[in-house]
Amino acid sequence: MSTIVQLQSITKVYGIGDIIVNALAGVDLTVNAGEYCSIMGASGSGKSTMMNIIGCLDRPTAGRYYLDGIEVDTLPDNELARIRNQKLGFVFQQFHLLSQLTAWENVMLPMIYAGVPVQERRDRAREALVRVGLEQRLQNKPTQLSGGQQQRVAIARAIVNRPVVLLADEPTGALDSTTTEEILDIFGELNASGMTVVMVTHEADVARRTRRVIWFKDGQVLESNLSPKDVALVSAG
Amino acid sequence: MDWLESGNMAVKTLTSNKLRTGLTMLGMIIGNASVIAMIGIGQGAQRLASEQFESLGPNVLFVTPGSPGARQRTTFLPRNLVWDDAKAIAAQVPSVASVAPQRQSQLSVTYGGKNRTTLIMGTTPEYLIVRDFDVAKGRFINNVDLERNTRVAILGSEVAEQFFQGQDPIGSKIRIRNISFEVVGVLQAKGSFLGNNQDDAVYIPLTTSATSLTGRTSPFGLDLTFISISAVNEANIPAAEFQITNLLRRRHKIISEDDFTVQTQKDILRIVGTITGGLTALLAAIAAVSLLVGGIGIMNIMLVSVSERTQEIGLRKAIGASEQDILMQFMIEAVMLSAAGGVLGTGVGIGGILLVAAFSPLQAVVSPVAITLAVTVSGTIGLVFGVFPARQAARLDPIVALRSA
Ligand SMILES: Nc1ncnc2c1ncn2[C@@H]1O[C@H](COP(=O)(O)OP(=O)(O)OP(=O)(O)O)[C@@H](O)[C@H]1O
Ligand SMILES: [Mg+2]
Repeated sequence: MSTIVQLQSITKVYGIGDIIVNALAGVDLTVNAGEYCSIMGASGSGKSTMMNIIGCLDRPTAGRYYLDGIEVDTLPDNELARIRNQKLGFVFQQFHLLSQLTAWENVMLPMIYAGVPVQERRDRAREALVRVGLEQRLQNKPTQLSGGQQQRVAIARAIVNRPVVLLADEPTGALDSTTTEEILDIFGELNASGMTVVMVTHEADVARRTRRVIWFKDGQVLESNLSPKDVALVSAG
Repeated sequence: MDWLESGNMAVKTLTSNKLRTGLTMLGMIIGNASVIAMIGIGQGAQRLASEQFESLGPNVLFVTPGSPGARQRTTFLPRNLVWDDAKAIAAQVPSVASVAPQRQSQLSVTYGGKNRTTLIMGTTPEYLIVRDFDVAKGRFINNVDLERNTRVAILGSEVAEQFFQGQDPIGSKIRIRNISFEVVGVLQAKGSFLGNNQDDAVYIPLTTSATSLTGRTSPFGLDLTFISISAVNEANIPAAEFQITNLLRRRHKIISEDDFTVQTQKDILRIVGTITGGLTALLAAIAAVSLLVGGIGIMNIMLVSVSERTQEIGLRKAIGASEQDILMQFMIEAVMLSAAGGVLGTGVGIGGILLVAAFSPLQAVVSPVAITLAVTVSGTIGLVFGVFPARQAARLDPIVALRSA
């Protein structure tokens, strides 16, 4: 089983004037290919900070990070942009679709930066939208789609370049419970077909759908391999 | 990402907010249109002026009283240029073909209860040859008129039209300064010269003008306002200028500064060229300022656009856009805005020139240089004023950008 994400003694320090915040205080974490994990923990415990570092949107203050065997913490900015484009898929709580583009065009966007030829781009974007069940909505603009549909477009966009890991920071945070179930079904199917998925969530019901729970507290990993059944225990104590 | 993709993306963004795109381009449109129209109109004026000078008469030189310096300092010119000077030039300068002494003033003319202040020109028969006028009816001044101080008048076509409205004026009596003159001829129309209607004039014998009308003569003889001279041919103009100058210096016993000025058509053309050229440059400079303002408008809108689209920039970076990709996207947007404004402005400018040409004597001069310049300049302005906003965009931190709401 190959290792996709490997964090070694990762720290992240924010300094606002004299106040210093240790958002991450030495995180060691390994995620293997094909895993489906959720990250939980109190607000402010550093979950998003870590997701941003895994997603190569941010750099750690110290520590080493290997993604798919490449040490990424030393790479220059434009190399990181390439890594984000080729190896990572990111799904946000706020969807972040471009409002002037159709669903189809939104999904094609990462392939434009990857230099994929036009025809292949169109085909692959359509395939990805079919996978999330939106083949009927190719030409809709984001404002013509429901929240759940918008998030599905965002998922299609995240997987269209065939990333090694799909990262999602509270992907259902802005959705109601039925829509949440639909999104989780899609994540489940993607994982069943081999996609590695890492997702931050506040909801135990969401975490229960995954197979491994990582528990955060005060910028550190408290439990790195919790069974979803035990979530209730930890959140209680 | 290649240029085609960036271009596509820019077009999509620009067309998704048409009102703003249009208003931003308006600055460039106005700037370009005014640069092109101003240069075109300026050059049209220049061409008109030189053509009018060429119509003045073949190979003409002018002698005026006063030194070039004195002519700039004062309006009281010495009355030392006299008929004898003109006669001497005609007799002694071999490169000269004809000499027309002229003595002019604005006086009131009346006929049949109508009154009109017009140019009264005392001159000699040579005037017709030197200034290239033709007689439409009757005759011009002759030597008998000069000898006898006859009170005869030849009317410019405009004066004839004003007083006689198509009737035959020959034989009628008009009054100039209450002195009666008999009309003996009418000249053919010649059109206006630098805004002066050349046909609004009455010609009388030079001698009559001195004895009957103005009465004044200087201690040196019958004084003149100026002398028009035609050289034998164009090649002889410099020789004529030189010989006339020498002759007059001898006659006026000049030891230091000349008390007269000899000007050739070329000299005058050059002066007019300098004036209209300066005017063109001034107009172009004013117009260029509006181009600059247009550029600043683009920068302003691009900056607004960057801050409005912070989330978009963050998202693009998150899915793999590099700094260069973002930089290029915004630069292309800026250049497209300004270049499109440039092209549209060029169209408007050319339209303006054609419109001016249609309703005024100015000729339409659509200068390809001006157009190339304006479009290049506006593209460059887009580039220059786009750099700053584009760099702001490219340097955004993706997390900060994504989080901004
Ligand atoms: N840009 C920043 N500057 C300063 N401090 C920051 C910054 N981003 C995060 N922090 C701090 O780092 C800590 C971790 O924040 P983070 O966003 O990772 O928490 P989180 O676990 O995602 O919380 P939530 O569940 O509320 O999303 C917090 O104390 C936060 O205030
Ligand atoms: Mg968070």
